Amino acid sequence: MNDPLQATRQVLWNIDHVWVMYALLLPTMGVAGYGIYRRVQRWRRGLSENRFDRPLERVALLMQNGLLQLRTWRKLYPGTLHAMIFWGFIVLTIATTVVMIDYDFGIPIMRGNFYLYFQSLTVDIFGALAIVGIGMAGYRRWIARPSQLVYTREADGLLVLILVILVSGFLIEGWRIAATDDPWGAWSPFGKLVADVSRQVMSVDAMIVAHRLTWWSHLLLVFGLIAWAPYTKLVHVVTSPLNLYTARLAPIGATLRKIDFEHSEKLGINSLAGFTWKDRLDFDACTECGRCTAVCPANRVGKLLSPRDIILDLRSLANDPQADPTQSYIGATPALSVEALWQCTTCGACVEACPVSIEQMPKIVDTRRFLVMEDAEFPETMQQALTSLETRGHPLRGTAFSRVDWTQGLNVTTMAEAKDADVLLWVGCGGALVERNQKVVRSLAQLLTKAGVKFAILGREEKCTGDPARRIGNEFLFSMLAEENIATLDRYQVKTIVTSCPHCFNTFQNEYPQFGGRYEVFHHSEYLAKLVSEGRLSADLPSDKTITFHDPCYLGRHNGVYDAPRQLVQISSSLAPVEMQQSRENGYCCGGGGGMSFIDEPPNQRVNQERARQVLETNADVVAVGCPFCMTMLEDGINARKGDRDVKVMDIAELLWQAVEQSPTS
Amino acid sequence: MNIIVCIKQILDPEIPARDFRVDSAKREAERGSANLVTNIFCENALETALQFREAHGGKITVVSVGPEGAEDVLRKALALTANEAVLVINDAPGLADPLFVARTLAAAIRKIGAFDAVLLGREAGDWGAGQTGGLLAEELGLPCISFAESLAPAAPGAVQVKRQTDSGWELLESTMPLVVTITNHEKNVPRIPKTRDVMQSYRKPLTKWTLADVGIDPASTAAYYEVAELSIPRKETQCEFIAGDTLEAKIDAFASRLTEVMRAL
Repeated sequence: MNDPLQATRQVLWNIDHVWVMYALLLPTMGVAGYGIYRRVQRWRRGLSENRFDRPLERVALLMQNGLLQLRTWRKLYPGTLHAMIFWGFIVLTIATTVVMIDYDFGIPIMRGNFYLYFQSLTVDIFGALAIVGIGMAGYRRWIARPSQLVYTREADGLLVLILVILVSGFLIEGWRIAATDDPWGAWSPFGKLVADVSRQVMSVDAMIVAHRLTWWSHLLLVFGLIAWAPYTKLVHVVTSPLNLYTARLAPIGATLRKIDFEHSEKLGINSLAGFTWKDRLDFDACTECGRCTAVCPANRVGKLLSPRDIILDLRSLANDPQADPTQSYIGATPALSVEALWQCTTCGACVEACPVSIEQMPKIVDTRRFLVMEDAEFPETMQQALTSLETRGHPLRGTAFSRVDWTQGLNVTTMAEAKDADVLLWVGCGGALVERNQKVVRSLAQLLTKAGVKFAILGREEKCTGDPARRIGNEFLFSMLAEENIATLDRYQVKTIVTSCPHCFNTFQNEYPQFGGRYEVFHHSEYLAKLVSEGRLSADLPSDKTITFHDPCYLGRHNGVYDAPRQLVQISSSLAPVEMQQSRENGYCCGGGGGMSFIDEPPNQRVNQERARQVLETNADVVAVGCPFCMTMLEDGINARKGDRDVKVMDIAELLWQAVEQSPTS
Repeated sequence: MNIIVCIKQILDPEIPARDFRVDSAKREAERGSANLVTNIFCENALETALQFREAHGGKITVVSVGPEGAEDVLRKALALTANEAVLVINDAPGLADPLFVARTLAAAIRKIGAFDAVLLGREAGDWGAGQTGGLLAEELGLPCISFAESLAPAAPGAVQVKRQTDSGWELLESTMPLVVTITNHEKNVPRIPKTRDVMQSYRKPLTKWTLADVGIDPASTAAYYEVAELSIPRKETQCEFIAGDTLEAKIDAFASRLTEVMRAL
């Protein structure tokens, strides 16, 4: 009897009329199945989209962000509590499956060491962890109450229900151990605890009765939860893994869809009918965790934009059987208002923060496309930028400069003059036409010359890559500029492009391939770091400034380049660099992306000033940037906030040029 | 109501100052790297017409006199949903003085047929002569209201025009047809086209006539004025210190020097 190899327990001890359980299972599965079916039907109403290519990468993503919960863990407290509940339920589900195999299928696996180590000890511990997790969730939801959560009775109900199910499970186990005097009871430490306490306060007869009642209640609650779950946010146990498997594999910078203008009935999206099945799955995958809104720079400075509410409001519409799928959702709720849609900097923080890979930002751009291309209704200053882009090839209306003014006094040739150039230096509108950034491009050109790189520029033949047009929503203008630029680049057979603008970088890297333009593209930080590592540049005169680096969204989050600029910062100063509280994947936008640098923000809601505050917090002497938009936005922000302090905004190329300038190498 | 809007293609006035060059020999601006755009006041005129049509119905025909390339500005007008477009091709250099343009426009408008109002921009952003509107009215023998900001219907066959003046505004009523030159106003800021309309604008028909088609002999017209000289204003700063023993003497010397300089200018 006490041979561990024989260890097991009697399944369904003390339970009669087991057929009732099986009978109840049917309607439970029916109700749950119908809930899932209804959702699947709603997804199927979406337009087609292929998200099933490259299955190995998809499985890997599912493992990382599903099973291992890596993205959820990025926030320690909620990550921990969710992992405890998540793994708790995984283990409990396996345990139930083991019982089923053993009892229903008659395959005796619930025996011996497996019974002791897994079915008893492990399951007991994970069940207890799940209770702790629920407790932590309860503390967060009912006491700490962070604003990013959505407070609904449904969420309260689910939490209480799960808690009752878990606790009742331990009661059943404890009473069984006590009443049967289970010799293996100690292998279930928490069940044993219940048993020991129960023995002090109740008779064995009472335990048998309580066990039976609680067992049936437990069963009803579990079946109730299973049946109810598909109609609540708990459906994410199904939709989140699906969404992770079908997640975008390309970098965030490559998420915007190309439009087939010849065959599109409607340009952009303004109604549910415009979304793909994946968009619709996104709505149902949302767990209401609110991380997207918590990191949204616009939301953080008090603006209306809330990526979470965009997804949730679209979900409500998609799940409302009365709603007309062709009805415009623009303006239907505050989150879907025109005002909110024009607050997005397309920084991608929401997309990066989402533990289940929902793509909020592309939906905002899709809706902007409708506003811009079908309605031609959008902020006037953005209209002016786009009109300038259309007529002059740059969005910077009123600039006093031409594209070649910055080259004065430097020996910079154009592609037309120097046909043997290895590298095209793509200057970008921000670099050529904004006085402050001309110094950056000058530094970069001098560094390239010093390193002996054979480079040339397009000069007057260069036109905006179209990034602002695409982000503002004029895909038509973007595609015209893309085709024009690709034709120019083809004419000079350009293979390698270096640019100091992350927006241009992203467009070449991720978006021109959609139009047939494929190049080897370097952000100047990458190219300079390469020259340094090859010994072609050497920073012999590092400054004595403390530098902090501000990650440009379109370099960092959109393309995953974090280290190259930091290497340059590192060698440009003899003092160790400092990091802002929000950096790398968590970097906070300068406020200038998505066409927002063409908008005058309300003085008390400026994203750049919030970022400037974060810069000043580090006490750095210099904030290094790698983007002409960040340069302008942060200089404005720092000047507004710095008071008497001497804090400079400098591009990494300027910092490196200072450190290299008089040094004798190469 | 049938509205004809005259549109002129000009050199982009927003070209960076240091890129702007003048051909002194030809006495005209060099094209250089500048783009060609629709004159802004013509855009205001088209916007005024579009708003009138939205409120009261009608048809808008846009007309331009210029080289083949001026088709671009007409396509843009079609993208803004003008109903029809006519280009009178005038490739001959030096034939763009206001009188010649007004005569050509008048001939083209007569050929187009019945109309109720002709709208023009108050002046163009290249030469800024501001003559074409008045001359066109003269050629067509119609009343002309200049510097208008908006139009509204009045009694049958008449129109009410709000006109800006130095001291405020005037509300005028005129019989139709008439010629109106439009100035900019916060209510006639040019809209931007819907993309679908831009796409369709390339498929819309556009009538092209030669000068001969409208009965204008290029040789028949001589400009009624001549550009004698053309140059870009140069900014110069000259600094002069006024000497004097006492403050009063300095002030006297300063005053007489100032008078001298003013006279010289």
